[in-house]
Amino acid sequence: MRAETLSQRQPMLHRIFRADPMTVRHALNFLHERFDGSAGEEAIFRVELALAEILNNICQHGGEGGAERPGGQGHAPLIHLCVIRHVGGIACAVTDDGIPLPDHCLGPRLPGAPATGQRDALPEGGFGWFLIQDLTASLSYFREGRRNFLAFIVPVGDAGSSGQFSPNCSG
Amino acid sequence: MQLSLLPQDDGVTIRVEEKRLDAAVALAFKDKVRGLVAHGGARVTLDLSPVDFMDSSGLGAVIAIFKQMPAGRSLVLSGLTPNVERVFRLTRMDKVMTIIPGPAWHDRER
Repeated sequence: MRAETLSQRQPMLHRIFRADPMTVRHALNFLHERFDGSAGEEAIFRVELALAEILNNICQHGGEGGAERPGGQGHAPLIHLCVIRHVGGIACAVTDDGIPLPDHCLGPRLPGAPATGQRDALPEGGFGWFLIQDLTASLSYFREGRRNFLAFIVPVGDAGSSGQFSPNCSG
Repeated sequence: MQLSLLPQDDGVTIRVEEKRLDAAVALAFKDKVRGLVAHGGARVTLDLSPVDFMDSSGLGAVIAIFKQMPAGRSLVLSGLTPNVERVFRLTRMDKVMTIIPGPAWHDRER
């Protein structure tokens, strides 16, 4: 494929799927198919990790509180994922019909590592929202009706620089 | 969840034969490695060189393995690919765990 064609095309991805660790995997593999080569490898990684954390969180917690549903059964939320490459960044939007995102998720986060030498005190979880906040910019959330809406950008330093844009990258 | 086991003079190398260490496999990974650690020697090296991607679920599993190492045994991580290394760095877990460069497995076989 000619580089000039690639550089003119802005890749995008839109997928709808039930929250499940394997459907999340497939969506992220599809992200690579669509976006590899459209931005630097680290920017693609930041998008993938941020999305993995957000989508895993929906898988793990979104289906809790099944009392809101007919029959009171927990359900796997239905996720809409949209990712678009634009000049200066990669924009992502995730919506789902799981339970509302707790306020503390978007509050200030500290990295998990405690003082050294305290092996038993190391956290085994709780890194997800720290990573999401660290990897993204313009992170915003609102809830409307039964759906959560989360959007963010991963900046790509290509405004006036071609350094991170490598259409011939095969990796 | 595939793991390979290579005995070493002072312990064992466990190589994670997966491209992704994510929420889909984290629990199985943790349980399998803990089972292997029970039969290892003083030093357990976890070779992550095949792993292209790790999320916080995978990281949490590695930390859980680290915390549950029996007294007198050590856990060393090797062969971190750039994406895996970034997760350790972003969470500052690179300051807590012992990380050595290079895939120990390959060095041994050459």
